[in-house]
Amino acid sequence: MPDLGQPWPSDQELLRRHVAGDAEAFGELFRRHRDRLWAVALRTVCDPEEAADALQDAMVSAFRRAADFRGESAVTTWLHRIVVNASLDRLRRRAARPASSTGDEQAFEALVAQDGDPARAADTRLDVDAALRILPPQQRAALVVVDMLGFSVADAAAILDTSPGTVKSRCARARARLLPHVAHLQGNRSAAESVQPAQGGDT
Amino acid sequence: MSAPVTHVDADALAEFRAGLVTGRRGARIAAHLAGCDRCAALDSELAGVSALLASVPAPVLPDRVAQRLDAALAAEVARRDDPERAGREPSPEPGEPARRARHRGFRLPSLRVLAPVAAAAAVVLAGGGYGLSLIAQGPGSQATASAGSAASAESNAAKPVAGTAEPTGRAAAPLASAPPHSGASARSELMSPANFTVVASDTDFTKATLDQDLAAELRVSPAAGTQHAPSTQVRGCVQQVADGAGLVRVLSAHYEGHPATVIVTSTGHGEEAWVAGPDCSGTNRDVLFHTSLPPGI
Repeated sequence: MPDLGQPWPSDQELLRRHVAGDAEAFGELFRRHRDRLWAVALRTVCDPEEAADALQDAMVSAFRRAADFRGESAVTTWLHRIVVNASLDRLRRRAARPASSTGDEQAFEALVAQDGDPARAADTRLDVDAALRILPPQQRAALVVVDMLGFSVADAAAILDTSPGTVKSRCARARARLLPHVAHLQGNRSAAESVQPAQGGDT
Repeated sequence: MSAPVTHVDADALAEFRAGLVTGRRGARIAAHLAGCDRCAALDSELAGVSALLASVPAPVLPDRVAQRLDAALAAEVARRDDPERAGREPSPEPGEPARRARHRGFRLPSLRVLAPVAAAAAVVLAGGGYGLSLIAQGPGSQATASAGSAASAESNAAKPVAGTAEPTGRAAAPLASAPPHSGASARSELMSPANFTVVASDTDFTKATLDQDLAAELRVSPAAGTQHAPSTQVRGCVQQVADGAGLVRVLSAHYEGHPATVIVTSTGHGEEAWVAGPDCSGTNRDVLFHTSLPPGI
């Protein structure tokens, strides 16, 4: 887990209080993690409006299904799992719609650019975000969870509701597929340009 | 896959790096990497992909999204406190309000639960927002003076944004007195076109089966499904279509295989169903189908 030490009350304790009827516990729990959950939703969905919808769906779902949490995983893992599912759900629904959202791109860039970090970092992030869009959703979700958020393969498997082997395979394919699109950000592009992957495998 | 003398492509290398290629094939790749500068360079670039991704700064949760989440959470807390209010029950039992009142008394673990309810109601008074329609229903809703004071005491530093609810904050809510409970029947609780939630539905409605499919949908409490706040476009569409009528339900679904928004309004004479296409907006009345629902749905 990327989390460094849990504050008190622990996540599990907050969830327990929520289930017991405490009206504030869930809010405290969710606020504790929502920045990271937002990152997962935004990077998986690649659209700020839909990501906001997905995060809200997930929050409501976690609020209502808290009693189902059995504690086989950390509370953060459980929350991330719900957010990933809500995000993939959004993408499935969007795939069923005709592509008509031309404002998305601009809105997305305005949003990712707004928080004023150094220009270079922002540029890198925009490039990476753009590159992530070429990935199939499942591969993207795996890569976001493992490489960007730093979850272990085992935790990622719990979050993505699949086996560790599948997580590894999705991540590997995603990295290979991303390579030609992000190699320039690493400062050495020769190898990536001379050896392109023959074709991206699908999950 | 590649014979030992040929180069290793990025897919195979990535799988090798992930520990997915073992045995003889793995040994061949390892041997090849040791003697091939080109593939070794590709291998280190692949390692660089993960490093690059890890180094990208995380996006910041925008204020307006944070406010929207706070509002939706307040609505959830209110809904849990009084689930019947949120749902449209197919057949309210006689004596329902009395049973409900008793239910409340026993279920609530502490009075503190009531404070966020009051705060959420006050958010509605403050001008509406996302995800609050569950409690923004009917003249008998929880709009009380004490609710207003709870919210003002709670308001925090976040800035209000047009079309977004005031954040409700948390924790420091004073003990507001319990809001009066209207006990209105589920059916009379309509959502305002200015303030409603959309329920995601898997149903692919068709013209022929709309009545019965819709009847099935409406038997299920919206609380049972996934709800979300409408996009600006959908809100504009619904406002235009509803034309001031109260909303029974707004569904994000399919119609004849295509994405559609199904809007059920109530006018006092009865209920009407409207199927709006994906391009429907405040300025484009894209209504694919309209029908009056038979009574008793």
